[in-house]
Amino acid sequence: MPGGSVGPMRVFVTGLGVVSPLALGARATMDALVQGRTAFRQLTLFDTSDQRTHRAAEVVGLTVADVAPPTHRDTWSRTDAMAVVAAREALAESRLDVSRHETHLAFGGTTGGMFETEQLLAEMHRDASRREPHALMLSHPLSATSDRLQTAVGPFARSRTLCSACSGGANAILLGAAWIRSGRSERVLAGGADGLCRLTFTGFNALGAVAPDRCRPFDRRRAGLGLGEGAAFLVLESEASVRMRGAVPLAELSGWAVGSEAHHITNPEEGGATAAGLMVRALQRGAVAVHELDYVNAHGTGTPLNDAMESRALHRALGPEVARVAVSSCKGQIGHTLGAAGAIEAAMTVLAIERDELPPTGGLEEPDAECDLVHVIGKGRRAEVRSAISNSFGFGGTDTVLLFTRPQVLAASRDGERSAARERLARRSRVVVTGAATLGSLGLLGSRRSLGYLEPGPAPTGEPLRFEAKEHFDLSRARRMDRPARLLTMAMQTALGECTGKRPIGPELGAIASSAYGNVDASAEFIQRIYEKGGRLASPLAFPNLVPSSPVGHAAIYLGMRGPVLATLDLGVTGEAAIALACELIEAGEASAIVAGSIEEQSAITEHVLGPLCAGSGSWTGVRGEGAAAIVLEEEGHAERRGARALCKIEHSASGRDGFARAAALLPAPRGAALVVVARRDESTLGALAETSWRDVSIAEVASRAGHHEGLGAVAVAAAVGALGDGRAEHVLVLGLAPDRWVTFVLARR
Amino acid sequence: MDSVALRTQIKELIIRELNLEGKTPAELDDDAPLFGAGLGLDSLDALQLAMAIEERYEVTLPEGDEVRPIFASVAALADFVARSKSLATVNA
Repeated sequence: MPGGSVGPMRVFVTGLGVVSPLALGARATMDALVQGRTAFRQLTLFDTSDQRTHRAAEVVGLTVADVAPPTHRDTWSRTDAMAVVAAREALAESRLDVSRHETHLAFGGTTGGMFETEQLLAEMHRDASRREPHALMLSHPLSATSDRLQTAVGPFARSRTLCSACSGGANAILLGAAWIRSGRSERVLAGGADGLCRLTFTGFNALGAVAPDRCRPFDRRRAGLGLGEGAAFLVLESEASVRMRGAVPLAELSGWAVGSEAHHITNPEEGGATAAGLMVRALQRGAVAVHELDYVNAHGTGTPLNDAMESRALHRALGPEVARVAVSSCKGQIGHTLGAAGAIEAAMTVLAIERDELPPTGGLEEPDAECDLVHVIGKGRRAEVRSAISNSFGFGGTDTVLLFTRPQVLAASRDGERSAARERLARRSRVVVTGAATLGSLGLLGSRRSLGYLEPGPAPTGEPLRFEAKEHFDLSRARRMDRPARLLTMAMQTALGECTGKRPIGPELGAIASSAYGNVDASAEFIQRIYEKGGRLASPLAFPNLVPSSPVGHAAIYLGMRGPVLATLDLGVTGEAAIALACELIEAGEASAIVAGSIEEQSAITEHVLGPLCAGSGSWTGVRGEGAAAIVLEEEGHAERRGARALCKIEHSASGRDGFARAAALLPAPRGAALVVVARRDESTLGALAETSWRDVSIAEVASRAGHHEGLGAVAVAAAVGALGDGRAEHVLVLGLAPDRWVTFVLARR
Repeated sequence: MDSVALRTQIKELIIRELNLEGKTPAELDDDAPLFGAGLGLDSLDALQLAMAIEERYEVTLPEGDEVRPIFASVAALADFVARSKSLATVNA
């Protein structure tokens, strides 16, 4: 796995904001945790009479109407409202005016506006004629929360929405750190938010994962988790920015690590080897010795499997020091807040350092022999906390570890600032493409033949893609994979088939992919079944496939990928966003290789409701298509060392919100045989292109052959790789444009 | 329904619910262990199967360790369903 050395760029936390079931406010939440208060009570948001359990940790004292602008009260979700309140607190504490100091946004979640939209989804599933775009559906996409943050607390010059199930909030923080480390950002608002909904409550109950009485992490009687909801954000800031603004660091985010277990869609790896390896890596990266670590804020869900695994992982990672380092989990008091959990717990970890105080593990009375750790029982206690770790583990096995330390006194030297700036530019790793593939109207194709999407030919029919599963999969291992997971895995497998070298690409490979609206039809079916048959007949096997990171999680398990495994989505530029995120993680040293792309299925709900409402797809003329694309991106030196041939290099990758003029100014000028490739050649794209030095270059679109979908940008990149590999072009601009957002790549022959 | 027909019906349900593509009821052994080795089924499959059996046959499976002997094999599962159904008939 990459990383290991101390990076030249330091990352500081200068603001915290939390909305939790215990309190509105980071410090008020910590106070309540330390006092040993618990937030579980009978759920009031929705009826639970047909469920196995009835309690959860709800956020109280906050309504959408309190937070949303008056004209948007009907279109915001509770998740949005919680996110905005937490974000405001974090920015206020940091005294950061984002309109004066360019700031970026990294957001992680899982359900977004599911609570507000599940009834409509069920109706749409039951009755195909109910397809009128209902304004409430605006809150459905996970990216909607990022968009509300943009309007309510922005502007943010760049924003990225992530999903990695229950580690989403932690991964948003990790991405913010990666951006700062590679010099892409000076300041990042990073965190997560997730509201309770019937879908997750019923799903976790169907998995038998919810404790019938109370959540008791690490207790010998523990019988499951308790669900909660909330939001948290951290303001992350570079050393130079902290000095320039005179900000007060609360802690340093000194190390981090992300990896995938590639094991099982719901169960953790028994021995905890992956989690242990990541803790060790985060410590190494932060140059913190185990004897300097004083506290671990555990993932500690309270399920029999997680807590035993995490205890074993802690023993492996900390060695004999495990007998000294205090461990506690917030989930016995505020519940598992899913996508928000990693961010809320990171905030509590920072406060443990700030206050030299440890929050307890609520519900823990009789520690299990399998969880032989230094527990904090009952109430919090004072203790010196020099450095502390926060663990987050997700469905599909994406594990993330964040390491915080006391902020060291910063040396005030302008020279130091300048040399740091030079150093970080030099440190940004170069990214090359070593494979690409598409699966769509032209079939399952490698990069060269994906060039077909740029050539004249008949329009697609819009028929669903057909494939024989047994020709592509070992069926005994693929039976949990639903159709989107299979389509994505076929594209990834084909792309990986191209990136051969003297040595294989290695298991440290990461994977990034998603669709703009997640698995919307399967979610609608699942919810409709709950309404029709009751919560007790919800499908346990269907539930894990509803989280937006499920297709990429399945692909990682099937193909054995153990690097960062994430989903990202961004309405009309979802395909481009996945590839941009992969470039950002590789250049920051978070992974040496990532296969990234998109998967979009035909869906009446997407086509008639979500697409036109959220992504402006009503203006797309032509057939709607479906398909997947995958690009293998690799750190240049990694590809060279293993003797793999690069098909092209990524000379430039950028993304942002609003003002395309900034994007135009950043673009390198075209050289040699140049080509512009776009998902669709519409007026706004041509208008944007006219602002760039590429205005006179010939332009090709993929939509006329592939059909329209939100992930088409990844098909455009695969076709561009084909054009470069074929010698058809030497320099290619891929431009992704959707309302209020853009992504650009410049690809060049090597 | 005779026990052979019930067993076949349960095998069809297992194949459909657990997505055992390419398998036929004839390939599933009446007495072989359902979980662990063999079909490679795990605890997540057990949850799905329990839900599907409860829905299809309108029976209630016990939770926890008591369900283990019932899930030992197709034959054991069919016996449980037949027994529960005949009890329901008597009680009705």
